Amino acid sequence: MIEVRDVSRLYRRGVDVVHALEHVTLRIPDGRFVALMGPSGSGKSTLLNLLAGLDRPDSGEVIVAGQPLSGLDDEALAAWRARHVGLIFQFYNLIPVLTAVENVELPLLLTALRRPERRRRAEIALAAVGLAHRPHHRPQQLSGGEQQRVAIARAIVTDPDLIVADEPTGDLDAKSAVEILELLRELNRAFGKSIVMVTHDPRGERFVHDVIRLDKGVLVNGTRATAAP
Amino acid sequence: MTWRRLVWRNLFRHPLRAIFTTLAVALAIFLVCAVLTLPAALATILERSASNVRISVHHKAGLTYWLPFAYVARVRNIPGVAGVNHFSWFGGIYDEPKNLFPNFAIDPDTVDDVWPDYGIPAETLARFRAVRNGCLVGNATMERFGWRIGQEITLRGTIFPVNLTFRIVGVIPPGVGNPYVLWFHRKYLEEAMEERGGFGNVGMIWIRAERPEDVDRIMASVDALFRNSEAEVASETEKAFIGSFFGSMQAMIRVILAVGFLCVGAVVLIAANTSAMGIRERVPEIAIMKSLGFPRRAILLALVAESTTQALLGGLLGAGGAWGILGALAAAGKTGASAFLGPLGSFRMSPEIAGQGVLIALAVGLVAGFVPAWNGARLPVVEALRKLF
Amino acid sequence: MPIPVAYNVRNLLVRRWTSAFSAGGIALVVAATMLLAALVGGLQRMLVATGEPDNWVVLRKGATNDGSSQVPREAAQAIRTLPGIARGADGQPLASPELVNQPFMVTREGGRENVLVRGVEPVAFAVHRSLRIVEGRMFQPKLGEVVIGTGIARRYAGARLGSSIEFGRRHWRVVGVFDSGGTSFDSEIWADVADVQDDTRRQGYSGVRVTLAPEADPAAFVHRVESDGRFTLEATPELAYYEEQAESANTLYVLVLTLAIVMGTGALFGALNTMYAAVAARTPEIGTLRALGFPRRAILVSFLTESLMLAAAGLVGGAALAALAVWSINTLLAGVQFAMMTFSVATVLLHISPGGALLGTTIAVAIGVLGGLAPAWHAARLRVVDALHRA
Repeated sequence: MIEVRDVSRLYRRGVDVVHALEHVTLRIPDGRFVALMGPSGSGKSTLLNLLAGLDRPDSGEVIVAGQPLSGLDDEALAAWRARHVGLIFQFYNLIPVLTAVENVELPLLLTALRRPERRRRAEIALAAVGLAHRPHHRPQQLSGGEQQRVAIARAIVTDPDLIVADEPTGDLDAKSAVEILELLRELNRAFGKSIVMVTHDPRGERFVHDVIRLDKGVLVNGTRATAAP
Repeated sequence: MTWRRLVWRNLFRHPLRAIFTTLAVALAIFLVCAVLTLPAALATILERSASNVRISVHHKAGLTYWLPFAYVARVRNIPGVAGVNHFSWFGGIYDEPKNLFPNFAIDPDTVDDVWPDYGIPAETLARFRAVRNGCLVGNATMERFGWRIGQEITLRGTIFPVNLTFRIVGVIPPGVGNPYVLWFHRKYLEEAMEERGGFGNVGMIWIRAERPEDVDRIMASVDALFRNSEAEVASETEKAFIGSFFGSMQAMIRVILAVGFLCVGAVVLIAANTSAMGIRERVPEIAIMKSLGFPRRAILLALVAESTTQALLGGLLGAGGAWGILGALAAAGKTGASAFLGPLGSFRMSPEIAGQGVLIALAVGLVAGFVPAWNGARLPVVEALRKLF
Repeated sequence: MPIPVAYNVRNLLVRRWTSAFSAGGIALVVAATMLLAALVGGLQRMLVATGEPDNWVVLRKGATNDGSSQVPREAAQAIRTLPGIARGADGQPLASPELVNQPFMVTREGGRENVLVRGVEPVAFAVHRSLRIVEGRMFQPKLGEVVIGTGIARRYAGARLGSSIEFGRRHWRVVGVFDSGGTSFDSEIWADVADVQDDTRRQGYSGVRVTLAPEADPAAFVHRVESDGRFTLEATPELAYYEEQAESANTLYVLVLTLAIVMGTGALFGALNTMYAAVAARTPEIGTLRALGFPRRAILVSFLTESLMLAAAGLVGGAALAALAVWSINTLLAGVQFAMMTFSVATVLLHISPGGALLGTTIAVAIGVLGGLAPAWHAARLRVVDALHRA
C-alpha cells in the first residue's frame, strides 16, 4: 500500500517559485499497475521521485508499505530504496562498462549475498525479461528495447515492494514500446509487483489498472481505466 | 561482478586517456626513483662503512697535510688499540688522467688487524705481504679496467715524482669499504723516493679499537698525545670521517630532490585532471547508482579507488622501468662513478626505493582523486537525475 | 575565415579547473627543468668564465688539476726563462708559480669542508687578469695575510675583511676581498706562496700559470715545456683546463635533458587528455561551426591555438616559479656547493642561462603543439552530420 498524504513540493528556479505539487493525497493498493499521466510540468515526475524516496516533500507524508519515509535520513533512505524499490528510467539506465548480467547484478552489491548467489539471481531476472541469451553483451551492443529489458531485470532482481518507472517507453520505437509495456504488465500479473509508471504514451493507458492524472501539481479526478484484455 | 571489477572497468572506459595518464604517472615515478637513489646512495655508503670500532687520525689542518711517520709507532702503544695501519695518498694515474681512482701506500702487515670486516682471505694477505710490489685492488676498479690477478700495472705519479709498477696479487671483496681502492706497500714507495728526497711522512692513520666503548677514550688519547707538537692531529670515527665528505653534496642533492618534488606535483595535477574529467562525464551513472540506493560513501570509495588504481598502475610501471633501465645502465658500466660525482654517479636502485616510488604513486592517486570524487559523490540525486532528463 | 581567438579564451575560462590543472602541470614541468638547468648553467658559467684565452697551465705530466700536481722549484724557474712569455708592466715575465692546498675550514653552519688555498706571488694578479680587489688591499709577503674571494666571504666562519681566519697550522688575517667575475676563483683564498709553503712544509709548487705574448707561438712553447728532460711537465691552455673541469657539469646536463624529455612527455600526455576531452565535449559545437561554414582548417587552427595558449600559460607560470626558486637559493642559501675536481668545494650561484630558458620554452611549445595536434586534427576531421547528431 502506498499512501500520499497532503504532499506539497516546490522548487525555486532563479526568481520563480514553481509549485510542482500542491496538497496531493492519494492511495495505491498493493499489486496495482498504475500510470501517472499529465502534461509537461504537471508534477508527475516529482510525485514519482517522492514515492521512490528519491526526494522529500516540503510538507505532508509519504508512506510506502507501512514505512513513513520522512522518518529516514538520506543514508537510511538510500538503504530503504535499495531494499524496497526497483527503478527504471527513460535514458542512461545502464552502466556502459558493465555487461547486461553485470548491470542486473549491480543492486545486489548492496546486499550480503555472495558472488555465485548474486550471479544466479541476476540470470533468473534476465530470463524473466526474456534476455537469457544475451547476458554478456554491453549496452552499446543492445537495442533500445533490449536495454530497457535489462533495466527492468535490474529493477526486479532485489525483489522490491514497488517498481517505479519514469517514461520507460519514451525513447523507444512503437514496437519496442509495446513490448516493454507488455512485459511490465506481465510482471505485475505474474509476481503481483506494484508498479507506478510515469508516461506520456497514450498506449500506456491500455495496460494499467488505474490512471492518475496530474495537472499543474494538482490531481485531476483519479479515473479508473479498465484493465486491458 | 564485484566492486573491483566495476572500478577496473571504469578505469579503461577511455583506453587512450587511461594509457596517457598511466604513462604520465609512470614517467614521473621513474624520475622520482632515479632522484631518490642519490641520498640513498650516500646513506648506504655510510651504512657500509659504519664500523663502530675504527678511528681515522689525520692532521688537524686538513688531508693535504702530512703527519710524521713516527706517529704510527707511538699510536700503537695506546691501551685498547687492537690494530694500526696507515694511508698515504699516492695519486697515481693509470693510463689516462681521466682514470682517477684512489690508491694508497699502506702497511701490508696489519691489514687484517684494522680491516677484518673486509673479508680479505688469509692467503691473499700472505701473498700481499710476500710480494714487495704487490697490490690489492677493489673489485670495481678490477672490473673497470679488466685487470687480472697476476697482471702488472704501472701508475704514473702526480704528487710523487716517480712511476710505480705493481703486480696485482688479490682482489678486495665487494660489500664493505670503497670498491675502487688500490693498496700497495709503503716500503716500495719509500725505496722509490730514496733518490728524490725520501719519504718520511704519512697521510692518515687508521686505528681499530678492541671494543666500541674504548673509542672515545682512544680518540682523546691520540689527540692529546700530539697536542702542541709539530703536527697536531684530529681523530674521528670512520663514520664521521666519511660523513664529512658528503656534507658538501647536500645542497646539490636538495636541489635535485626539489626538482623531483616539482615533478610529483605536476603529475598530481595531471592525474587530478583525468579523474575530474572522468567523473564529470559520469554524472548520469553516479545518479543511477545513487538512485539504486548506493550510499555516498560507497560511491566516494569507488571513485577514489579508481584514481588510486590508475596511479598505482603508473607507479608500478615507472618503478619497474626505473629498476630495469637503471640496473641495465649500471651493469653496462654507463653510470660508473666519475671521480668526484662519486657515489652520486652510480644511481643504483634498491627495492626500498622502488617501494617508495610506488607509495608516492599511491599518494598521488589519493590526492589527485579525492576532491573530484568528493564532489562527484556529493551530487544530490535529484539534481543529477534532473540533469539527465 | 578563422575562428576568433576569443572563442578559445572563453572556453579555457569556462572549463576553469581543467585548464588550470593542465597549465599547472606544464608549469611545474617547465619549472623543474629550468631549475635543474639553472644548476648546470651556474656551473658552466663559473667554469667557462674562468680562464684567460692567452694563459697556459703548466702542471706535472698526467695531473688532472692543480691539486694533484707537483712542480719543483727548479722547473718553475726554468719555465720563467722560456721565450714567448709576455712581460708585465715591470718588465718581468708573466709566469705565476702557484702552490695549491686544500685545508679544512669551518662553515658558518659548523660544517667542515676542503677549501682551495692558492699560494701566489704578486705576479699572479697580472696573470689572472679577471681578478679585482673590491675591498681592502693586496696582501704583503710573509705576513700571513690573505685575500679571499667573494664566495669565501659568504660561506665560512669569520671570513670578513679585517678578521682573522683559521686554516692550516695557523691564523691568517683577511686584508682584502676579491671578485673574479663569477669564476671559480671566487671560491678560493689567495695567500703568499712562501707562507703556504711554510704552512704545508713543502717546497716547490703545484704548477705555473703563464701568459703568452700575442706574437708567441703556443705550439713552440708547449714543446719546450714538455721536452725538457729534467722534468716531466705538460702545458694546457687555461680555457681548455677549466673546460675539462666542467666535465661533471656535462653529466648533470645529461640529467637535465633526461628530466626534460621524461617529464615533458608526461605533461604532454596530460595535455593530450585535456584537449581530447575538450574536443569530445564540444563536438556538437564543432558541428555547428562547420555547418555555419567554417572550414576544417579553421577548426584545426582553433584547437591548436587553444592548446598553445595553455602551454603559454604554463610556460609563464613555470618560468616565474623557476626564477623565484633560483633567486631564493642564491639569496637565502648563498648558492649551491659543488665538489670540484680539486677536491675542494666551490659555491655555485644558480643561473638561468639563455640555454635554460630556451629549453623551458621548447618543452612548453612542444607540449602545446604535440598535445593539440592530434585532437585538433580529429576535431577538424569530424563529419558535420555526425557531430550535430551527438548534440
